[in-house]
Amino acid sequence: MKYTVIVKPKKAILDPQGKAIKKVAENYLNKEIKNIRVGKYFEIETETDDKDMIEKLAKNILSNDVIEDYEVKES
Amino acid sequence: MKTAIIRFLGTNCDMDCKYACDAVGAKSEFVWYEETTLKGFDIVILPGGFSYGDYLRSGVLAKFSPIMQAVKEFAKYGGKIIGICNGFQILTESHLLPGTLLKNKNLRFIHKEVYLKKEESNCFFTQKVEKNILKLPIAHGDGNYFCSNDELKTLEDNSMIVLRYSSKYANTNEEFNPNGSIKNIAGICNKNGNIFGLMPHPERAVGDLGIEGEEIFRSFI
Repeated sequence: MKYTVIVKPKKAILDPQGKAIKKVAENYLNKEIKNIRVGKYFEIETETDDKDMIEKLAKNILSNDVIEDYEVKES
Repeated sequence: MKTAIIRFLGTNCDMDCKYACDAVGAKSEFVWYEETTLKGFDIVILPGGFSYGDYLRSGVLAKFSPIMQAVKEFAKYGGKIIGICNGFQILTESHLLPGTLLKNKNLRFIHKEVYLKKEESNCFFTQKVEKNILKLPIAHGDGNYFCSNDELKTLEDNSMIVLRYSSKYANTNEEFNPNGSIKNIAGICNKNGNIFGLMPHPERAVGDLGIEGEEIFRSFI
């Protein structure tokens, strides 16, 4: 099975990396961009179908619940 | 008292911590991250550095190492633990302290000396600190302490904030905050005061390098 996990900063969290990229992108494009936020993307392959295990992995290792939300998708 | 200095892959302040322990006359030994027990030790130092190359998030991968299971047990029975810099990040990721450490607000690695105001707390490691303002070096990329509003209230209500970035004269305004941390927080402890995490490096201000780090290392004797 193939899964993808996306980890994103929570809405209330300031994302200075995203802000820095936004600034450069706006200069480069010469256009205004409303917002850029930076997250992480994981591709995980398993022998068997075990979404619960991937959920556990995403919750306890791949993300930190103080600052991030995660999403698990089967692909 | 005997101190364990934990070495993870990527720890780089272990020798500095040993130097600091020796300078104040505290007994210490290095403990490898694959060890499973802390028997015979009274204090544990989680030193600074870049455990596991800071991959994924600073401190998160170290929390799954065998020694951290022993550190959690050690904490449960009131063992004294100090996490410096990357050690602080490991403590928050391990849920031994609340909150987390984000990238510095200016996105830069900051290396300089800062003034710190000692707050009233029951932190074991600051009980022998006589000065109210300490001057210590910081050196970090992810030192921007953050926690939820509920956690912040818990920190404040239980006097768990130990050190705040300040001016030489104890002014804790935003302008004296090097990394954007919430409420200028530089160090916190748990409710019982036996677990202490801080971003500044007291071990780099001991012996020939300075005297103010000794204020903290005095508690190791």
